[in-house]
Amino acid sequence: MQQNRLVWLWFTPVLLLLGAVYIVPVLDVARLSFSDATLLRPVTAYGLQSYRDMLGGDSLGTILNTTAVFTLLNVLGLQLVGMGIALLLIRGENRRLRGMSVLRIIVLAAWVIPGVANGLIWQMLFSEAPFGAINSTLRLIGLPGVAWLSDPTNAMMSAVIANIWQGSAFSMIVFYAARRAIDPVLYEAASVDGATPAAQFVFITLPQMRGALLVNTVLVTIQTLNTFDTILALTGGGPGRATEVLSLNIFNTVFYGFDLGGGSALAMLLLAISMALTLIYLSILMRRGART
Amino acid sequence: MTPIRPNRLALSVAALMLAAPTAVLSQDLITRDRVGPEDAPNVMTFRLTAYDLYSTDPATRETFEALFTTFILANPGWRLETQLATDNIGQEQARMLEQVGAGRGPDCAMIDSSALGLFKSAGVLQPMNAYFTQDQIDDMFPFVRDAVSDADGNVLAWWWFTSLQVLYRDTALVPDAPQTWAEVQDAALVTVAAGREGILFNGGRWEGTTFDWLPNFWAQGGEIVDAEGRPVFNQGDNREKLLAAINYYKGLVDSGAAPARVTTIVNYDEFSAAAAAGTAGMFIGGNWQYGQLRSTLAPEDFANWELSELPGPTPDQRATGTGGWTIGAFSDDPEKVRLCAQIVWDIYAIDGNAFQGLLPTSAAIYDQFDAYDGPEYDAFAAALVNGVSRPDAAIYPEISNQFQIMLGQVLSGAATPEAALDAAAAAVDAAFARL
Repeated sequence: MQQNRLVWLWFTPVLLLLGAVYIVPVLDVARLSFSDATLLRPVTAYGLQSYRDMLGGDSLGTILNTTAVFTLLNVLGLQLVGMGIALLLIRGENRRLRGMSVLRIIVLAAWVIPGVANGLIWQMLFSEAPFGAINSTLRLIGLPGVAWLSDPTNAMMSAVIANIWQGSAFSMIVFYAARRAIDPVLYEAASVDGATPAAQFVFITLPQMRGALLVNTVLVTIQTLNTFDTILALTGGGPGRATEVLSLNIFNTVFYGFDLGGGSALAMLLLAISMALTLIYLSILMRRGART
Repeated sequence: MTPIRPNRLALSVAALMLAAPTAVLSQDLITRDRVGPEDAPNVMTFRLTAYDLYSTDPATRETFEALFTTFILANPGWRLETQLATDNIGQEQARMLEQVGAGRGPDCAMIDSSALGLFKSAGVLQPMNAYFTQDQIDDMFPFVRDAVSDADGNVLAWWWFTSLQVLYRDTALVPDAPQTWAEVQDAALVTVAAGREGILFNGGRWEGTTFDWLPNFWAQGGEIVDAEGRPVFNQGDNREKLLAAINYYKGLVDSGAAPARVTTIVNYDEFSAAAAAGTAGMFIGGNWQYGQLRSTLAPEDFANWELSELPGPTPDQRATGTGGWTIGAFSDDPEKVRLCAQIVWDIYAIDGNAFQGLLPTSAAIYDQFDAYDGPEYDAFAAALVNGVSRPDAAIYPEISNQFQIMLGQVLSGAATPEAALDAAAAAVDAAFARL
């Protein structure tokens, strides 16, 4: 009992620090979300008006839909690409191929690039000007140019590609570590039994990496929901609202509309969505964990 | 306080005398975040753009280093802590307003003219009247004086240069300046037939898109806000005028006179790049781009490029947006406000403008320098007659944001002009109600 009390005593500084850094700002945003604060004047009244305006706004449905599409495509893409690179690295290392370290560094290099820089890089690549990088290459080989950013549907796909390019390194690290932790005896036994590589992947790799997949899904989902810097630099949310996700809409509400209360209400909505998805994933994880 | 009365001759002589040793001196006095001795007891923070003292162009940087060195030597005991503003104007200015409100803003800063109304309505700018003579104030262009003054006649910032949009064209393809919207489309289609992009303009999500398009609305006499700053662009005749302006751009894209990629353009440099690559026939750009073209293009190519006033729905209906930058003081320390005013006049408003070929806001300055003798300045002066500045209203940034969305949706085919306009008006009205 005495020992338990001491444990909490040692935890106190960390809890205070985390509280100051994370919980206080969240509570302040929650307070502002019930206020009429703007960037031009302080709070004059509290109430539910920000939430009423948010839910009654014409654009919320479009923005949530855009956010859902962007998040879904990214979560799928990040998992697939991350898994692909991780398995490629493992396979290469098992065969003692040269260049695996270089490949890992190249993938990680994309990860450390700031989101805004990532957006600018892809903006140059996707440029639809006659001298745009990708379109010029396509024309060189006789293919027509693509409206990467000016077509609303393509603009979403371009934003997804840019985000996956940058973010897949994180998934790769998670999957690489999880794959390395699988006992090689399982694969040796499967090989002896004549299992094909595809069968080994389906019946050994995937089940063994279930925990990593779920954890990665949680983290990547939250990360993607909060992504706005890459989109801001790449498309600014356009054309029109084609790529305006919720986090970017929060930014625009506060810094163009100066609506601190409305922006805070949207931020609380984003927080609620993130927490709900996290709880769903965690419940699945715990249920599966209990079963295995 | 004694108004600043700079002796122009003395300043010029001092600048010349300092020119040689400045290169050495400025190495100590000017760093990436400081102007003046490191141990100076008095500090003023100054937020500036990256186009002068920290320009990537060596000649510009050296000129402004000399001007800042002269300035700081004339103010012993002071140093400036310089803060570089980002080039995303809307966000930068909004962030600065938030910082000023929280007491963390700079003492003196460059404020984009589009955001001046915002800072005025927030009541954070300190009057600068005491540091300028009445002659200096009277010599400002009327639209500039109105914009920088409050109801009591206080000068809350100094608009040190203005800018305007013009139509650039390659005369090898478009010899005569288009006068109307219809002529623009016809001329652009000629350049498309010659294998180039017809006409380029800003159409992406940034302030430049709204600002470059609004003259088409203003040329018809449209008003964005009323005298009280309430949005009225979707009311009465304004709605029809706004729809006409949208349909002008829509017609350009639908006909192929403008490429669909205009909805991705968020930077004036795209136009200079297209001109340099020889891929564009016309573009709507800023007056400052004329100098850029001169320094970028080969002389024989540059000779083909001319500028003219923005076309209107009819030859008699014209407008251009007047932009530019102001400098204002947020500090309540009179000494810092004085220094801020001195920076305006001693560095930017006269010598800085003349060097960069920017458009001063005081009529008398044009006569002082040969730099303003070129024929392009005659065209700028003619266009300035129809100059309109952005509304002095706190709701303007949100109006601009919604217009960017509206144009993007229409030009990409995601919405009809009417539906996009109604959505923009509803969003602006909701934002205005909460402001």
